[in-house]
Amino acid sequence: MQVKRKTPRGIWALRGVTVAIAVIVLLAIGTVVYSAYEDYTAVKAELAGGNQQAIGAAVLRGSTETVSINITVPNNGLYPLNVTLSCDYPTTNVVCQRTSVDVSPGGQGVLRFRMTVLDLTEFEGSDNQVINGTVAISMMPFVGLTVGTDFGGFVKPGGS
Amino acid sequence: MYGQTITMRKRITSAVWALVVNAIFWIVIPYYLGAFLAGRVPESALTIPTFVYEFGILFIILEVGAAFYQGKAVAVPMISAVALLTVVYIWYATNGGVLGVETSGITLALSFRLMLYVLVLPSIWAAIRAPLSYLVWRRALKTEISTGPPAPTVP
Repeated sequence: MQVKRKTPRGIWALRGVTVAIAVIVLLAIGTVVYSAYEDYTAVKAELAGGNQQAIGAAVLRGSTETVSINITVPNNGLYPLNVTLSCDYPTTNVVCQRTSVDVSPGGQGVLRFRMTVLDLTEFEGSDNQVINGTVAISMMPFVGLTVGTDFGGFVKPGGS
Repeated sequence: MYGQTITMRKRITSAVWALVVNAIFWIVIPYYLGAFLAGRVPESALTIPTFVYEFGILFIILEVGAAFYQGKAVAVPMISAVALLTVVYIWYATNGGVLGVETSGITLALSFRLMLYVLVLPSIWAAIRAPLSYLVWRRALKTEISTGPPAPTVP
């Protein structure tokens, strides 16, 4: 024979809060993972199916080459997306514009990035043909991914 | 549940069970995972950091204590300590929500500080909930003593 105690009301309230927190956490994780996957798939499809000439074009005028990168950024996720392109250490021979685009869920934006190599001959002749650039993708407000890479590969001798 | 008579046999069983489960989770799995990674990718820096074992020992001590003293006031700080230790562990393991890697001239940095706050929220709540739960039960038991115990149920 055992005394069966009734669970106090306060305990039920505490359990309620626990369940609410668990639901919030699961929703946050689920929506972030879903959005990241959807955005990645959409951007990958855009880059694979897009006109490569339009995405990255290099125009040579005299010895100055201007590299234009136009990327359509779709946002199929549930959170606003921010994509920023910038050069970390522009040299005196390379001028970059920091470009940023905010894309709301369900929409799409165009990222227009310009990079100018003032003297292509000097750039090609130099030992260091690296242009440190940064691609920052932020799924606001939860996750941000920063990729630091070489933008020197966009420079095409003779233009394109 | 507080205020219930728990036999010594049940306490020891719970403590042994907590010891086995936590030892597997914090010592055995990380050890074999580390050995597996080292065997597969010998040049890789993918090793299980020592802090996993250090935290693991603390987790085992606290979990075993909480299981042994279940239903008693002394278990409350142990339950809260486990929850707070989980917060510290998650924070430490994720470098405060900023993870970075550099490979082949490409630098990758993942920042998820706000997501980390969300991830540690259940543990912070668990640390708060343990003493609150104890206080609610104690109050209910005091009321019960003053008004008389509930009628026993015949199985």
